[in-house]
Amino acid sequence: MTPSTSSVSSVSSSTRHPSVQIFSILFGIVYLTCFYMDWAPFRYYPDASAFYLSVHREAGPAILWYGWVTAATVVSAAIAFAVPRRLAERLGPAWAWIVPVVTVIGILIYEKRWFV
Amino acid sequence: MIVVLLIVHGLLAVALVGAITHQALSVVPGTATAGPRSFVRRFRSVNPAAYANAIVVLFSITAIGGALLYPQYRLDVRTALEDMQMRAANGVFEIKEHLAAIGLGLLPTYWLFWRAPLAPEQASARRYLTWLLAFIVWWNFLVGHVLNNIKGLLP
Repeated sequence: MTPSTSSVSSVSSSTRHPSVQIFSILFGIVYLTCFYMDWAPFRYYPDASAFYLSVHREAGPAILWYGWVTAATVVSAAIAFAVPRRLAERLGPAWAWIVPVVTVIGILIYEKRWFV
Repeated sequence: MIVVLLIVHGLLAVALVGAITHQALSVVPGTATAGPRSFVRRFRSVNPAAYANAIVVLFSITAIGGALLYPQYRLDVRTALEDMQMRAANGVFEIKEHLAAIGLGLLPTYWLFWRAPLAPEQASARRYLTWLLAFIVWWNFLVGHVLNNIKGLLP
């Protein structure tokens, strides 16, 4: 195998798709922001078995989690595809785990409120 | 129907815990193949890349199952926990739902990093992503089982 074919075959999948890494990095940040701001594009009310775009207190307890996950997916995907490839390729692989770890630590610190 | 879904959700979680634990231990630095073949050494000496697809599929299906179970939990279990003033139990579940979401967001990158050919410069990122996913899976597994059995576990 020549050096040139060797270097071609060693191009990893993540190098070919740098926007995927951006998606994963942003996903946790967008999710955490939505949760912290108590904002969801929609809410599900299990008592009424209905989705609403606004708050309906008379419909019982609401589930915002579906909305947070949807918002995180849509916003992260939109930004990930909008970032120019040249810029995305500069992102080192370490960011793929450092940012999610910091996000998880942030969540654990915030949720300490349940244990005091 | 909800009981069947809960049991399937739990069984898939068992498979997921097994797969991610194999993979997480196999990427611990150190030789897994040299020396006497102890149980731990055998447990670690697997091909970690072979688990990636199964972990992505199991995590996704288990998370979807959890999402389908969530309305029943919100109406019956959470309300009961609030009535009993069990704030810590509600807290660990809150963390569980957040971790499940973070894990879902990580899956595309995790899968990409484990796709062949494995890039040597991504070995650390691959390892830490796997450990983070393992932490998420174990937390959610334990919390799910404790909450499911909480009436029998606590006086």
